[in-house]
Amino acid sequence: MFLKRAVLALKALVAATLLAGAAIAGPVVNSGHIESQLVPQEAGIAPGGTIYVALRQKIQQDWHTYWRNPGDAGEPTKITWTLPAGWSAGDMVWPTPVKTRLGPLLDYAYKGEVLIPVPITAPADAQVGTTVSLTADVAYLVCEQVCIPEDAKLTLLLPVVAGAPKPDPQWGVRIADVLAKAPKPAGLKATFKLEGQALKLAVTGSPLKGADMAGAYFFPYSSKVIEHAADQAIERGPEGLTLTLKPGYDFVGGGTAPTELVGVLALDSGAAWEVSATAGELPTTAAGLGAPPVKDKASTGGAPGGLLGALVLAFLGGLILNLMPCVFPVLSMKAASLAGHAHHAGKARAQGLAFLAGVLATFLILAGILLAVRAGGAAVGWGFQLQSPLVIAALALLMLLVALNMSGVFEIGSSIQGVGAGASSRDDLLGAFFTGALAVVVAAPCTAPFMAGALGYALTQPAVVALGVFTALGLGFASPFVAVAFIPAVLQRLPRPGVWMETLKKGLAFPMYGAALWLTWVFAQQAGSIALGQVLGAGVLAAFGAWVYGLAQGRRSAAKAFLAQMVVGLLCLVAALALAISAALAAQPATTTTAAAPSSGPGLVAEPWSPERVAALRAEGRPILVDFTAAWCVTCQVNEKVALSGGKVAEAFKAENAVLLKADWTNRDPVIAKALADFGRVGVPLYVVYPKSGGEPVILPQLLTEGMVIEAIEKAGA
Amino acid sequence: MPITRRLVAASLPLAVLVPTVANARPAPDFTAVDADGKTRSLSEFRSKTVVLEWTNEGCPYVKKHYAGNMQGLQQAARADGVVWLTIASSAPGKQGHFPDGAAAKSWMNARGAKPTALLLDPDGKVATAYKAKTTPHMFVIDKAGLVVYEGAIDDKPTNKVEDIAGAKNLVAGALTDVKAGRKVATPFATPYGCSVKYKDA
Repeated sequence: MFLKRAVLALKALVAATLLAGAAIAGPVVNSGHIESQLVPQEAGIAPGGTIYVALRQKIQQDWHTYWRNPGDAGEPTKITWTLPAGWSAGDMVWPTPVKTRLGPLLDYAYKGEVLIPVPITAPADAQVGTTVSLTADVAYLVCEQVCIPEDAKLTLLLPVVAGAPKPDPQWGVRIADVLAKAPKPAGLKATFKLEGQALKLAVTGSPLKGADMAGAYFFPYSSKVIEHAADQAIERGPEGLTLTLKPGYDFVGGGTAPTELVGVLALDSGAAWEVSATAGELPTTAAGLGAPPVKDKASTGGAPGGLLGALVLAFLGGLILNLMPCVFPVLSMKAASLAGHAHHAGKARAQGLAFLAGVLATFLILAGILLAVRAGGAAVGWGFQLQSPLVIAALALLMLLVALNMSGVFEIGSSIQGVGAGASSRDDLLGAFFTGALAVVVAAPCTAPFMAGALGYALTQPAVVALGVFTALGLGFASPFVAVAFIPAVLQRLPRPGVWMETLKKGLAFPMYGAALWLTWVFAQQAGSIALGQVLGAGVLAAFGAWVYGLAQGRRSAAKAFLAQMVVGLLCLVAALALAISAALAAQPATTTTAAAPSSGPGLVAEPWSPERVAALRAEGRPILVDFTAAWCVTCQVNEKVALSGGKVAEAFKAENAVLLKADWTNRDPVIAKALADFGRVGVPLYVVYPKSGGEPVILPQLLTEGMVIEAIEKAGA
Repeated sequence: MPITRRLVAASLPLAVLVPTVANARPAPDFTAVDADGKTRSLSEFRSKTVVLEWTNEGCPYVKKHYAGNMQGLQQAARADGVVWLTIASSAPGKQGHFPDGAAAKSWMNARGAKPTALLLDPDGKVATAYKAKTTPHMFVIDKAGLVVYEGAIDDKPTNKVEDIAGAKNLVAGALTDVKAGRKVATPFATPYGCSVKYKDA
């Protein structure tokens, strides 16, 4: 008896000491991969009161434990309490878990440090001044690649105090924070509906109004209601959002479908609520605004700030496109023609407008095709038209013909020789229109800075918004020429037409020859060397045809018989086109040529990219730079030459044990398109650096310098 | 019109074949090499009841059931004429991967496991076809080739051997129902255990 009293007295003394300021916490138990202990929110408990005691677990790096629904595999952490008579423990408060992907499986897990609070209630007759011992037998599965069941017997000595207890100095704030962030019901209204193979979950309510819904995800409490590993598509609405889930066994297994769907709705922002959905018609206010804008994690052109931002960026992007090497040859053609009209204000204006119309019409047609094809489910992106060898071959011939025309080998119609005089103005306008169209088609390979973000945004938006962005792009692209055509002061400064015009035109033919050459090179990348030979042959044939046609024109103006020559010339052109087409169609896509070949530059060898390779290298803890590129992408080629092929870059890669992976999008590739989309992009170039630490990948700007690459790699290796 | 009618007529016998189990899906056929190096496929066991068992010898949940429970089930099932296929789908370098048939056999011998065959599926083809998630993950396929049970081995999702005694074995239950020609009472239970060690995505 005396002994018992002495022990009690001692315990009270201990409690008193603890109350004097020191934090109380149970002893730490290390079960192998996890250190566990019990920690209280308050430094004591009043009789009849309830406080939270948390299971605190420090999980070894790269290992994880499981949420209440572990997902596809695993087992949730369990606590079995042994409490004095009259004491009780409530339900565990589960913080929002993280998604852990293992091959095709997805688990809901905890990593690092986790606190799981449990309400503990003391009986009304608990003796103030005594200390009780709470015991928790905790069993948990801890997994990395392999899974190990571990357990720990944890204890906590908790003093019974009079009045409201004070927060524990060490754990009080932490546990309060965990409780505040833990998902709770917040008056959200949730409805679900099975639509064929899709389970739609609509959630509306004031917390979601105007919230950043990026990364919205539904963690179900039951493991049988959804396919955990399937993507959850997000559609925003004015009052909330709709998630498209893949129904699980309970819905498609043939039994009676559940009447409610309970779980946690979590956002990237960290906000999370408990939602309990009932079956019914989906509210219209939970959809209609498209997916959340993809976050541009990079410092490239900055994230488009909504529609207005995207429009401004698109306009700027279009403007800058004029300076890009792809378009220059076509614009030189336009420049030649404009110079001719400079002193005929009305004509210049009409031409400017026709050019604008050509640009806009082509942008919108391309955008329309792109949207339609994407709506059909195919993974295509900007520049898709240049992924077809057929288009490339046809464009190469067209460029050659334009160049020959500028060199004066033949004339189109009779308009060009009659500049400023009796030329048919209808032909002129048509010419300006098609110049605009041609400029747009070949502009695609030069994604300008500012354009990537705007286009990425556009393609995730409803069609009207997307077309708006493309229109802004077209306006930006066409604006310099339209401006020149409409500002008399500028026109006046241009020299008077004369013989120099002819010289200028012939000089400007050379960029066009260059363009034809470049397209032919792209074609060779796509179609291989045999097809290349055929297209080169087609080029010679076309040139011959153009020359014969020119002869015919000469004879006609000299009033000689010309029909035979003209027919021969046209036949040659048709034959050239047919040869180019047959070459493109018969071409074997040379998929591995560029991917496997070492990239140019001393020592730095690019490996072919694949999502598997990225995962494997990340698992090895190596920094990675992924170069999303295409042969038809001039900006890409320039970057590779300027910033990725130098010796210093190779040294930096070597020093950090980094790997350069090359994703070649010269030909269509849905896997690459999907990867681009994941970064909110629809075109190349894209440079992504994965840090060694396994953190978020970093996107580099679209115009690279050597220093930028070296800095990024050093940072990634740190 | 005649074509439609012919199609309907042709599909009638098929409809008759589908048993009363409304939710059963056809079991995907597969081919895999067994521990003896022999190529086996599901189709060779047509018109027999087949059990598929996903395994990973290193997984604590597999160890729990190989303390005797799994072997007992295998023996009882085979005595009833049921074909039992144990499938190891761990990728090379992952826990539970058998580099060759000999390694698999020595594990089977050590454990006294008696499946009809142990199939090696290191590239996860069979596991992917069945969307196998855990080890163990069990499937019962009836004589018509329909999956009539899939999921956990029993209703106590733990890794503790002592829990087996009080658990209801869902595979044994399904086999009894199949034998009696009844609809399987519990056709699905969330599988529990370690994740199938697929190769990294």
